[in-house]
Amino acid sequence: MPHIPEKLRYWMLIIPALAVMIIFYIFPVLNIWGISITEPSVGIENYERMFASNAVKVSFVLTFRIAAITTVACLILGYVVAYTISNLAGRVRPLMLGLVLLPFWVSVLIRSFAWIVLLGRSGLVNDGLMATGIISQPLRLMHNELGVLIAMVHVMLPFAVLPMLTNMRGISGSYIQAARGLGASEWRAFREVYFPQTLPGVMSGGLLVFVLSLGFYVTPALLGGGRVMMISEYITYQIQEFLNWGLGAALSVVLLMATAVVLLIASRFVNLKTTFLERR
Amino acid sequence: MDTHDTGYQADLMDIAAEKYKAGRLSRRGFLTAMGALGLVPMLGNRSAYAQASEIVVCNWGGAAEEILKNILGKAFEEETGIPVRVDGAGPSPGKIRAMVESGAVVWDVCDSGAGSAIVMNGAGVIQDIDYSIVDKTKVLDGTALPFGVGNYVFSYAMAWNPTMLPDGAPKTWEDVWNVQDFPGMRTFRKSVRGQLEMAAQAMGVAKEDVYAFLDDEGIKAAIAKFRELRDNIIVWGSGSDSQNLFLQGEVAMGNIYSSRSFLLKDQMEPGSFAMTFDGAVLQPGIWVVPKGNPAGAETAMRFIASAQDPQLQANWFEAIGNGPINPAAASLLPAALAQWNPNDPANVVKQVIYSDEWYGKNQVSAEELYIDALIG
Repeated sequence: MPHIPEKLRYWMLIIPALAVMIIFYIFPVLNIWGISITEPSVGIENYERMFASNAVKVSFVLTFRIAAITTVACLILGYVVAYTISNLAGRVRPLMLGLVLLPFWVSVLIRSFAWIVLLGRSGLVNDGLMATGIISQPLRLMHNELGVLIAMVHVMLPFAVLPMLTNMRGISGSYIQAARGLGASEWRAFREVYFPQTLPGVMSGGLLVFVLSLGFYVTPALLGGGRVMMISEYITYQIQEFLNWGLGAALSVVLLMATAVVLLIASRFVNLKTTFLERR
Repeated sequence: MDTHDTGYQADLMDIAAEKYKAGRLSRRGFLTAMGALGLVPMLGNRSAYAQASEIVVCNWGGAAEEILKNILGKAFEEETGIPVRVDGAGPSPGKIRAMVESGAVVWDVCDSGAGSAIVMNGAGVIQDIDYSIVDKTKVLDGTALPFGVGNYVFSYAMAWNPTMLPDGAPKTWEDVWNVQDFPGMRTFRKSVRGQLEMAAQAMGVAKEDVYAFLDDEGIKAAIAKFRELRDNIIVWGSGSDSQNLFLQGEVAMGNIYSSRSFLLKDQMEPGSFAMTFDGAVLQPGIWVVPKGNPAGAETAMRFIASAQDPQLQANWFEAIGNGPINPAAASLLPAALAQWNPNDPANVVKQVIYSDEWYGKNQVSAEELYIDALIG
């Protein structure tokens, strides 16, 4: 058997996966870039139209706003969950971890439909509140931005919890004990000793949620009532309703760029390698 | 520019899926419909080439496919001995053109629209209708074009839930825009087709003058009207969306397909659903015959003529809620159903007739403004 250098052997092992990526991902993406400058005619007409369009501007602002609010909400809720699991859970820790992961077993589509059942005008929440006399008119909990946010936070929460949990479990308890031993109050020990050590986890969780939220489609489309049109829904709309492949493709290129810019900026603050590659 | 509203025909596909679930459509019929949409590989499509002893009618799949076969197809076969096969592949102008130009025409009669028919006639790929066989008097006025003839009609019409409007139901589009006296969410289509006409009427424009009013200035005014109402709007993308919004009590009123109203009247609790054709937009579907169709021009014309039979048209309506194109069918409908028929003479006079010309000219620009107004 001829000797194959070790490096080459590893490359050969990843070739199938690489081929799949190139054929089914890189190539179509490049194709989309091509469409964006060739349909309906060659040139940057689609990009001009896009930057001139108020609807596109509104949709981009909305997308970033929803992604930002979702991220902040997920971080606050997720931090508490991660803290509890890693520091206080004890024997129920596997159960709690299981509960965090449980939503992954159900498709996003089903979970979004479940929110429709809960948040609808005659949904469980409104019916319950009406029955107990707290409100006399149904609240508008969905078909608006609020509904999208509620469901998005729910869908994204595990993505915030897991990186923070990983991070927190790597923090030794002796630091806090030392701080306490030196006379710091519980709050001060948390604020000055524990919290700074969790920041890498918070950053990676936040980045993950933000990037995923930017391109999110199903939940906003179902709970937004058609008027909370995030950019991916706007793309679908251009392509499916108007067969406007050129503009749809141009929009997706800009979304990809925007996501890349976010990652680029984030890379100054977050170690991307540990965020996306290493999961202890 | 193709202005034909394929959304409506795609909607008939959704209705098929619902009927299948409800057990009213056979599995085979459902699979054929899905196959037509490319969801199941279609192997049988080519068989049509060789057999001149049948006629192939192409429509947009769904319940429309099964029902077309069972009602129009069966009658034609009984009449002429020629079996009818229905292909639900969706006869878009592009496909018809490709077929005719490649010389491999599979379809004899296609369910199209006036806008598409104009485009296809311009491209020289469809035949003129032989009005010595097809009866001009058996279709709605204005739908007997030289190169295509009406097959059914549908409307964008006002519907509401009376139980959510205890203080009175809207009667006009002006009322729909009046959120003080008629509270509750409204639903409109996510695309501009059949929508600006309503805003124009809400501004007091008479239904006859709607398209004349909707020039560049008029479009802006109608768009502004939607901008004003948008906080009270939930939009529907597919016909089944609009149906769900009513079923779940999410909206109190809206502008939806008459065929969806036709289904909702049976699905909602008695007294909780109503509709009117007042100020609705009436749109016909159009039969076209590709050049060089396999069964020959005469057979195709005979099928179209056969489908004009008022009783068949009435049966077709009862099955799926497509309005009969033949005004004479109206009197054959059970009295209780007449009010749901977009082509009932009493209903036609209340409606705006969809203008392909207007859409050909304005749709693209209006669409952009419309979506801007809704989300902005």
